[in-house]
Amino acid sequence: MSDAGEAGSDLATAFSNRTIDPDELPDYRAVALQSVSPRFAVYAALSSALFWLGLSAALLIGPRLPFVNLGLPAWIAAGPLLALAWFAAVAWLDARRRGWALREHDLMYRAGLIWRRTSILPFARIQHVETASGPLERAFGLMRVKCFTAGGMAADLIVEGLEQDAARRVRQHLLEQIRSGAEPLRSEADGVEE
Amino acid sequence: MTAADGWQRLSPLALVFLVLSGLQRQVRENLFLFAGAGAGAAFTDWLGLRELVLIVSVFFLLSVLGAMIYHRRFRFRLDDDAVRVRRGLIERKEVRVRFDRVQNIQLGQPLYFRPFGLVRFSLQTPGAADKEVELPGIHRSLAETMRDRISAARSGTDFADDKLADSDAAPAEDAILFRATPGRLFLHGLSSNQVWVIAGLFFYLAGNLLNRFEERLEGLFEEAAGNAEALTLAAPDWLLGLSVVLALLLILFGLSGVLALVRFWGFELLESGDRLVASSGLFDRREQTVRQAKVTGLVLRQSAVGRLLGSWHVIVRQTRSSDLESDGRKNAFVLPGLAVGDLELTRHLLPGLVRPTELHGVSPRFRRFAWSRLLVVQLLVLVGLALLLGASHWALLLVAVLAALALPLLHLRFRHWGWARQGFRLWVRSGLLGHRLEGFDLRQVQQARITSSPSQRRHDLVSLELVLPHGAVAIPFLPGNAAARLANEALALAESAPFQAL
Repeated sequence: MSDAGEAGSDLATAFSNRTIDPDELPDYRAVALQSVSPRFAVYAALSSALFWLGLSAALLIGPRLPFVNLGLPAWIAAGPLLALAWFAAVAWLDARRRGWALREHDLMYRAGLIWRRTSILPFARIQHVETASGPLERAFGLMRVKCFTAGGMAADLIVEGLEQDAARRVRQHLLEQIRSGAEPLRSEADGVEE
Repeated sequence: MTAADGWQRLSPLALVFLVLSGLQRQVRENLFLFAGAGAGAAFTDWLGLRELVLIVSVFFLLSVLGAMIYHRRFRFRLDDDAVRVRRGLIERKEVRVRFDRVQNIQLGQPLYFRPFGLVRFSLQTPGAADKEVELPGIHRSLAETMRDRISAARSGTDFADDKLADSDAAPAEDAILFRATPGRLFLHGLSSNQVWVIAGLFFYLAGNLLNRFEERLEGLFEEAAGNAEALTLAAPDWLLGLSVVLALLLILFGLSGVLALVRFWGFELLESGDRLVASSGLFDRREQTVRQAKVTGLVLRQSAVGRLLGSWHVIVRQTRSSDLESDGRKNAFVLPGLAVGDLELTRHLLPGLVRPTELHGVSPRFRRFAWSRLLVVQLLVLVGLALLLGASHWALLLVAVLAALALPLLHLRFRHWGWARQGFRLWVRSGLLGHRLEGFDLRQVQQARITSSPSQRRHDLVSLELVLPHGAVAIPFLPGNAAARLANEALALAESAPFQAL
């Protein structure tokens, strides 16, 4: 094989030096998660309810408009109302169980009532951080932290339900982590400029 | 520096490329619209041939004009560490791409560029959805200068760099890793999924054309039928039908094989220092260069037909920004027509990665879970259909048969799921009739997600999803401890790896 081939096998031996005992690694399951803001449950239930309320209102009012002749029975609006009750309840219960944690090297977020998902995002993989809040969230004093990574939208992590102060602190912390980790590399501007 | 410095223009011949590729794009985007039974056909009936020719020529002139302006305004320049491009039809745009960000370089040579020694040069960065910079019609020597300069630039952040820097001291020797024979390429075409795409397109167009020329065809058929009766064929009708279907299939597969031959003609994979260079193509000769350090994963694929023919192909994965990318993309780095013995070369693509012989399976509950959910859905469909169509309708039997058929398929799916660790590399296998083996470096993990449903939680099972720069890889129904161990290790490796400057 050529030099490159040997370099490849050298590489493999150099890499495999790092022996790790898997049982001594920090376990993500052992982390005590911090709950999101208690106001988030109200916000989540309310925003879900508002959506379904809008739909049932449209179904209730729509057939009564003078120029519409659909012949829909009035009880059809009960469908979205039932959905409202279900989804608002799920949103409420889900929101109360959500939790997050900052570890030394990563950010954890747990969400979901039926399908429970824990996401763990290493700081070293975050490309940039953003906080965002809609009008309803602002009314409840809530804020989202969005972490963007390489690999497209599916790879991003959004931490919902933080109080504004906490969200700002988290963002600040993440930015500091990114900066300290990337100091030697990111002094220059990013590679592609337009 | 030499001619490589200062703002430069494209060769006049590049205009041909710009016009052709513009038209090609237009046709591709509007083919379905036009060939569709609705608008296109009605339009051609409504308009006469003369008007149609007029519209097409105006359209053609406009696109030539657009290409001319684009060509006139296009400038590029090679700096020491970056390439700069000024372009734009209405809005002027200047793009600067730093060499160390480039992850994929492509040199293409369409047939009409060949006598003039021109090439099409394009490069991709991890941030861009499409080709970041495309320079059609520049001299091969200039393109090669650029390619070498880009390949020489390194960011110093990639895992392999420290080691590979040594190999620069001695001039890199090119080693041929793989060369595909025409026979293997033809097999690749046969086993590639493009057969079904071609079939779909064929039947779609044929269906539309049939609609348009139905009357005339009917006349023809009647005539043919008359002739056939006169001939008194010995074969029964079903045999005739079967042979027509078989002939169609043969044509489709043959076409697919020929297409693969044209696209990958003379395929060769070289290892040159820390670079992988693949070149292929009969009419449009293409050369693709990727730095080993920018490879984030490998996919080993074998379709159902490929399993019969013993034909594999490998896709070299790199960071992507769009979720819509598929394996069949033009820019994808594909190694076609590999035999099992050729798969050894994976160790050169991602150092140390070898196809695993034994894999851990997932929990058998996967089968039960998937089948029970499927049954619930099918029961609902059955009840719904029974209410709508009556209890003795044939559709009910069909649904029941489908439910029974789903069982072996789910079993196959279950049998395919598997994973294997190789140091800090992980292999994940999936598939139904074909195989898909995805191998990657755990240090590349961008995020770990652990998901569980209530029934999974009862049996201490979870689904693990590892997000990589080129997309997510999931393993369903893992025992909780095994999944946690994998996730913890992946995170520890990712977090102790150098910071990623993508």
